[in-house]
Amino acid sequence: MTLKPTHALWLAALVSFALLPQFIAVKYYLHLSILALIWVIAAQGQNLIQGYTGYVSIVQAGFIGIGAYSTALMGLHYDLPVWLTILLAPVVTAVFALGIGYPSLRVKGHYFAIVTLAFNLVIFIVLMNWHTLTQGEAGITGIPKPGSPDGWFNWRDRETYYYFVLIVAALMTGLAALITRSRIGQVLIAIRQNEDLVGAIGISAWKYKLFAFVTSAMFAGLAGAIYAHYQSFINPEIFGVAQSLDAILAVIIGGSGTIAGPVIGAFFVVFLPEYLRFADSFRLIIYGLVLVLATIFMPRGIVGVATSFSDWFMRRRR
Amino acid sequence: MIEILQQIINGMAIGGVYVLIALGLTTVFGILGIAHFAHGSVSMFGGYLTFFLMTSQGLPLAVAILVALATGFVLGLLIELLAYRPVRSASHINAFIVALGLTMMVEGLNLEFFGHEQVVIPTDFNRVFDIGGVTIPELRLYVILAAALLIATMTIFVEKTKTGQAIRAVAENRDAAILMGVNVNTIPLVVFAISTMLGVCAGIMVGALFAIAPGIGEGLVIKGFAVLILGGLGSIPGAVIGGLVLGITEALAAGFLSSAYKDVIAFVVMITVLLVRPQGLMGKA
Repeated sequence: MTLKPTHALWLAALVSFALLPQFIAVKYYLHLSILALIWVIAAQGQNLIQGYTGYVSIVQAGFIGIGAYSTALMGLHYDLPVWLTILLAPVVTAVFALGIGYPSLRVKGHYFAIVTLAFNLVIFIVLMNWHTLTQGEAGITGIPKPGSPDGWFNWRDRETYYYFVLIVAALMTGLAALITRSRIGQVLIAIRQNEDLVGAIGISAWKYKLFAFVTSAMFAGLAGAIYAHYQSFINPEIFGVAQSLDAILAVIIGGSGTIAGPVIGAFFVVFLPEYLRFADSFRLIIYGLVLVLATIFMPRGIVGVATSFSDWFMRRRR
Repeated sequence: MIEILQQIINGMAIGGVYVLIALGLTTVFGILGIAHFAHGSVSMFGGYLTFFLMTSQGLPLAVAILVALATGFVLGLLIELLAYRPVRSASHINAFIVALGLTMMVEGLNLEFFGHEQVVIPTDFNRVFDIGGVTIPELRLYVILAAALLIATMTIFVEKTKTGQAIRAVAENRDAAILMGVNVNTIPLVVFAISTMLGVCAGIMVGALFAIAPGIGEGLVIKGFAVLILGGLGSIPGAVIGGLVLGITEALAAGFLSSAYKDVIAFVVMITVLLVRPQGLMGKA
């Protein structure tokens, strides 16, 4: 395999992410970086169904929530080790995603978006009201961190957790790249471009759509599990529709249907609202305005702009 | 039996609000294919504005409503011109993202202008009617009547007037409508102005019946879309039936099952309808 410029870019990105904690003086930014890396995992999942398959799902935060609650509840009720519950959480999420995806994927376009949104609301309402299981709005506290206190790594240290999340995010980004380059990924792209044609050449599109939907939910479940053990506390607040919309934005702003897009987009949706804190009550207005302007003037996202710019630059050099 | 009738009457008031929201959404969707997510927040803006005009400016309810409607008219024009027109030829997901951005902006403006407090639009319709054991508060009765009047006006406008005919023509076949001399640049403006005014009416009703607070608008627009799915996207009779079905289901669920899970039950009804009739109750197959 020859080293293409894009591979060099990925390597450079990975190295800079690995060195990042050494340059962060304010601990709060390290915290935000961890959140952004967790969002990378969820956004890569969202990109599979939204960017590649062309089905805008509005339930990603609901799946993040299912992952977070299942790892927390399995750990607290059955006393399972943390690494095991983190691995089981995406499986539990997948079961829910099968149940939700099967009816939802019978409809297309806006119908699909709205039905998944309704499912996100249902998940949220159940998390809020099933007090005996989820403790409602108060949430679950005391979710254990991975590793024993006298182990090799001190998981209570933010930097250690950063590297753990970085490795998982890199692996999941690699997995997303593998899926999209495989035959399955090609079929997914074909579904986005012309679903009837896919059916016409004898491929049962619904199996592939369900695969994309369930896989995307498993990414979210994993992200949720990692989040739960990072914060040690979860409540339904951050698993609502607004956060599902953030996942959609991460994909769109970064660059829909590209592997780099969700990575950039995830950092965007975590850091931009923070930077807009100075604007105080105008924050929401500015954030909304940025979105509207970005969609009008750069519909292919940041990656799209970067690609056209580098193409233009390459042509100039020749 | 009386109890069931009572819940149905209760459901009709909130159902009427859903119908008005859904009418705005369904005309925008039918003509432009846009899922106008900001509609709920815009409606709440109308409710807030009415409250503000009455309490800070001392206007009577009727005048405040008229001013709010006029503002809604202008706001609708601006939304179409500034936000949706630039992405008209792009893919629908782009219009949806614009709608999300717009929702945040309008929610932000509502917070900036009107604050975090929940407000209730004051009315002096405090009588309660009793018809054979079923009690109807005066306010609810007026809401139901006003909603019925607006639905009728809207239907007559779309079915009988020249502009309404042009709107239906664009919805059915955009290219043919252009060939027939319909100005496809003004139709979206008309549609947004009307749908925003309907939204303002719904916002005022919510403000008078319940309360307006940050976040209510988003819940309302989601219900509006649920109504569209129930009734069939782009169908006006569908929006009316879907809205009443959703409102009454919710009221019955809240009355007899569980008020915490009333929304879950409403969504389950929606999803079930979708599985049996993917095109909605009144949609064409």
